[in-house]
Amino acid sequence: MTDVPPLLNVRNLKVHFFTQAGVAPAVDGIDFRVNPRETLGLVGESGSGKTMASLAVLRLVPPPARIVSGSIEFQNRDLLTLDEAALRDLRGKHVAMIFQNPAYSLNPIFTIGDQLTEILRWHEPVSRTAARDRAADLLRLVGIADPLQRLRQFPHELSGGMKQRICIARALLCNPALILADEPTTNLDVTIQAQILDLLAELRDRLRMAMLLVSHDMGVVARMAHRITVVYAGRTCETGDARTIFHTPQHPYTRALLESTPRIDHDYEHATRPTLRTIGGRIPNLATPPTGCRFHPRCAEATEECAQLRPVPFEVAPGHSVSCLKRGSPGVAA
Amino acid sequence: MARPPGQFRQGWHRLCRNRSGLLGLSLVAFVVLVALIGPEFAPYTPNDQSAMLSFTAKGAPTWAHLFGTDRNGYDVLTRVIYGAPTALAVGLGAMLVASVIGILVGGIAGYLGGTADELLMRFTEFFLVIPVFIMILAVVRLFSIVVVGTPLERLPFLNLATIIVLLGLFGWPPIARLARAEFLRLKNMDFVEAARCIGAQPRDILFRHILPNALPSLVVVIALGIGGAILSESMISFLGFGDPKAISWGQLLYFNYEVLRVSPWAVLAPGGAIFITVLGFNLLADGLSDAFNPRLKQ
Repeated sequence: MTDVPPLLNVRNLKVHFFTQAGVAPAVDGIDFRVNPRETLGLVGESGSGKTMASLAVLRLVPPPARIVSGSIEFQNRDLLTLDEAALRDLRGKHVAMIFQNPAYSLNPIFTIGDQLTEILRWHEPVSRTAARDRAADLLRLVGIADPLQRLRQFPHELSGGMKQRICIARALLCNPALILADEPTTNLDVTIQAQILDLLAELRDRLRMAMLLVSHDMGVVARMAHRITVVYAGRTCETGDARTIFHTPQHPYTRALLESTPRIDHDYEHATRPTLRTIGGRIPNLATPPTGCRFHPRCAEATEECAQLRPVPFEVAPGHSVSCLKRGSPGVAA
Repeated sequence: MARPPGQFRQGWHRLCRNRSGLLGLSLVAFVVLVALIGPEFAPYTPNDQSAMLSFTAKGAPTWAHLFGTDRNGYDVLTRVIYGAPTALAVGLGAMLVASVIGILVGGIAGYLGGTADELLMRFTEFFLVIPVFIMILAVVRLFSIVVVGTPLERLPFLNLATIIVLLGLFGWPPIARLARAEFLRLKNMDFVEAARCIGAQPRDILFRHILPNALPSLVVVIALGIGGAILSESMISFLGFGDPKAISWGQLLYFNYEVLRVSPWAVLAPGGAIFITVLGFNLLADGLSDAFNPRLKQ
């Protein structure tokens, strides 16, 4: 797996918020890599910087946030050096995004057809009818019956699951190589969630796309991802393939996260520990992040040096790297 | 656009169920109708002063002169009918100018934010504190003096055009403030972000995605502004600063206020016309506001 050149390679990405109260390093050195046709799950709590990291791939971090350093390579091009016109060409055509809330990500005053054909006509010289046909084909592909009827409807006439299907169709219109899915199922009912995830998995395999799946939901990631990167407070904790992360997690945060996820195969009533475990404390205020390892104030294994040294990713097994001083990571003073 | 967007159609349906909004719409429609086809049916030509010759000036309403005649011997009904196109031209023209400036200034301020926003909004506030009325009177008078002896002098309705442009130039700040607020709200909406993510140009984002969504709110202030502009023009004309060649309701008041006790009809008729028109636009604005922002009412 590692000898294939990655489709997307993000290294040491730093996105800082420049507010009046000071600089908040929301993303402070995240690394991740998405190989062709692979799904990477980017997992973390709210505020861990995972959404910022995915927006950074499109160079769309909203002000007052700015990408301060790092490199984002996509198909061997450094996205941080592209100009605005090249970025517009990239967005939607090569990298597409699916948003968290389908209700708000469609423009309320245009029909579905208008919104779908709009993108095609920006990126490819197609006629109106050809664009419409392609949009109808895609709606059929994402499992929408009577697409011609739907194309004439407005977003408010459709259900949430239907809207998310349309958002997925919109993302797929130009055959992108990479899909960024930012919590694609968080705002949907559980039954619809399952349908949408199945649809995404099916389309990903059929269209041979790579996907960056941003989620806080371990269940969603377990179902979809080939590899997983766990982030905490703006830094990468652990990266490995999905099986490794779920069966032999190394980083204390990954372990805690997994233990605090309810499991259907666990008998809570007769276990020695009848309640679900939680992670004590709360996610740090990023305006004043903890020194050393960012997880150390909440970490059960933390020692003196964890507050002093910042762990550097360390490969504990091929393709499995961990940033924790207790797992052999070298520490740098910071 | 192939067909009217859903939001607007919904608003239209809600307006049709709103009694005062519907009344406003009918009044406005009536005024528009009078302005469009009234001159065809006016009993006299607007500059017919023959009543002066037959000593029937200041005459009470009769079958020949339904609203009576005024002190200059004009038929009041005819003059009131001919005042309607002037009033609408002033209202629509002034608000067109004001909307273009207001949406540009407010939209840019809201979309860009930061220093640009700060500068543009201070500029807007500067315009808000200018005593508009005195300013317009002064400029209208000065301009009509400056223009003497230049080719501009021969342009028809130059004075009226000046008033329209001035009302527009001083009427945009409320529109700019609302446009700023709307653009500020909409630029962070997910669908705008989504448009950016699919490679939309800033131009498309502003005019295709943000502006149409801001329009329902803007239409309300614009409708309100039309009534205000008509009222302002009437006041300017009433003070004798209007266009002498344009027939306006304010001008009728100006000609006849001295004979108010002798021939009240010559004042009541144009006054009533102003009342109906301004009331119509205000009620319409109110109805539009309820129709497009139904949640604000509770």
